Amino acid sequence: MIEILADGVVKTFGSTRALDRVDLAVPAGELWGVVGADGAGKTTLLRCIAGLLRVDTGKVLPGQAGQARLGFAQQGFHLYPDLTVEENVAFFGAVYGLHPSAAAANAEELLAFAGLTDRRSSLAGQLSGGMKQKLTLVCSLLHQPPVLLLDEPTTGVDPLSRLEFWDLVEHLHVAGSTVLLASAYFDEVERCDRIVYLDHGRVVASGTPRDLRGEHPTLEDAFLEMIS
Amino acid sequence: MIVGNPSAGATRRDESEVTPDARWQGWQRLRSLVRKEFIEIRRDRRTLALIVAVPVILLVIFGYAATFDVHHVPTELVDHDSLAVRAALGAHGDFAVRSGVAGNLGTAEADIQHGRVAVAVVVGADGRPAQVLIDGSNLLTAMTAERELTALQLQSEGALPAMSVVVLYNPSLRSTTFMVPGLVGMIMVQVALVLTALGVVRERERGTIEQLMITPLTKLELMIGKTIPYLLIALADLCFVLLVGWGLFGVPIRGSVFLLFGEAFLFLTATLGMGLLISTVAQTQLQAMQMSVFVQLPQMLLSGLIFPVASMPWGVRWLSYVLPLTYFASVARDVMLKGLGLGDLWSETIVLAGMAVVFVSLAAFRFRKTLD
Repeated sequence: MIEILADGVVKTFGSTRALDRVDLAVPAGELWGVVGADGAGKTTLLRCIAGLLRVDTGKVLPGQAGQARLGFAQQGFHLYPDLTVEENVAFFGAVYGLHPSAAAANAEELLAFAGLTDRRSSLAGQLSGGMKQKLTLVCSLLHQPPVLLLDEPTTGVDPLSRLEFWDLVEHLHVAGSTVLLASAYFDEVERCDRIVYLDHGRVVASGTPRDLRGEHPTLEDAFLEMIS
Repeated sequence: MIVGNPSAGATRRDESEVTPDARWQGWQRLRSLVRKEFIEIRRDRRTLALIVAVPVILLVIFGYAATFDVHHVPTELVDHDSLAVRAALGAHGDFAVRSGVAGNLGTAEADIQHGRVAVAVVVGADGRPAQVLIDGSNLLTAMTAERELTALQLQSEGALPAMSVVVLYNPSLRSTTFMVPGLVGMIMVQVALVLTALGVVRERERGTIEQLMITPLTKLELMIGKTIPYLLIALADLCFVLLVGWGLFGVPIRGSVFLLFGEAFLFLTATLGMGLLISTVAQTQLQAMQMSVFVQLPQMLLSGLIFPVASMPWGVRWLSYVLPLTYFASVARDVMLKGLGLGDLWSETIVLAGMAVVFVSLAAFRFRKTLD
């Protein structure tokens, strides 16, 4: 069963074609990575899939109609810096329509999962970059979505926090979540089941990390050769 | 060419060491900065529009509308007609005397209460004026009427002898009695318009609105949820201003408090709609603040809060009629100072309700739940 779909997606901003007939289909329970340089169209693709941007042509899943099944941790910090960790979590739990007791139970479990239990009373704005990303992930998971979109979740995060964050992602993957992750780091997407190379809004290659690397020492080398 | 001289900037140079080259470089840096600012201003269409529109609007407001000169004060004669009194009052255009005569003092008081006239001159059977009633709820008009009547008495060579002057609703012509009802509206504009616009734009600037968009929160819920706090704060402000006005300045509330709050609710809904509308246009909090000022200023100067709308030229008076505060300031004075009820204020109430529907609908139309 396909959980995440982009079928011939075209998206333009003015005269700029940000996505040019992009196709991808992520089956349930798989972890896929979209990799590409800045401006390649990664964020636009994830926003279209999430239904935050309307596509010019093509079809997306889950899209706006399927947002209830979706958790989306967007690039950067998009929570309330003046609220505490606990208040942010409670707010998003309520906004997702969870019963207070269910929201509290989920929050408890997720904060422990993300290692944020001790920081529950801290203002979100005062957390480190890595903790902010974990909190973003926690808030995206409160309604237990089967589908997760992660847009460059470790950008600007220190190496140790990146490793911790990836542990969380892999844990979710093993638990059965379908995950599509955008990243500019090739070493990160190498952990994915499949990788989609995006360049200037086009899919230039797609496959398993092993297939795409081929004879090259790294994925990055393979990608550079491909786009040159 | 020397690239990356490690000693450059490491020590503070003496002023005498500044070479002509260094001065030229300073000038070049300054020129680049100025040029960059102009490019940014030119590309920011909203700021550019404000730069062009603000002087034009201010010129129109201060040049024509915001005037302390009151002319054509609506006036009527009571009991008896008198050509001599009509001629004396109409001589300089300060008073616009209605044709016909009010039958008695009661009718004249009712005409003043309902705003049909601001001055009523009681004429005796001998054709000489005996008493003058003045509407004190509009301070500038009342003060002008009192001053002009005195001047006319001196010039009229007996046509206007000394009369007893009765100022209704604000007998001592206190400015606080005049200002507080209007100020109630102005304070609510400040809270409802500015804070609502900033509240929504802050969500956009911080990116939190993007996170909300992915939740099941509907557009309507988002709009209502963002406005209810400011509605409650503005109503709390209304209570505070009324209490202080009554307790500290002795400003009365002669009409129904419930009616005043009902009208305030309609006015606030219209103003919150304007605030939401601004938030759909402004991209940053600074732009939202600039636009709020742009909307607030005409409300302050053209709504009759200070300057009487009736004295404004027709060309700009239409602007007053599209501002919610024009109706609320009038309603607040009518309820608080004159004790008028809903039966007397139905037309203003309908206009305020219509404005609430229009502004909220426009805001809802423009408010989107996608990033396009």
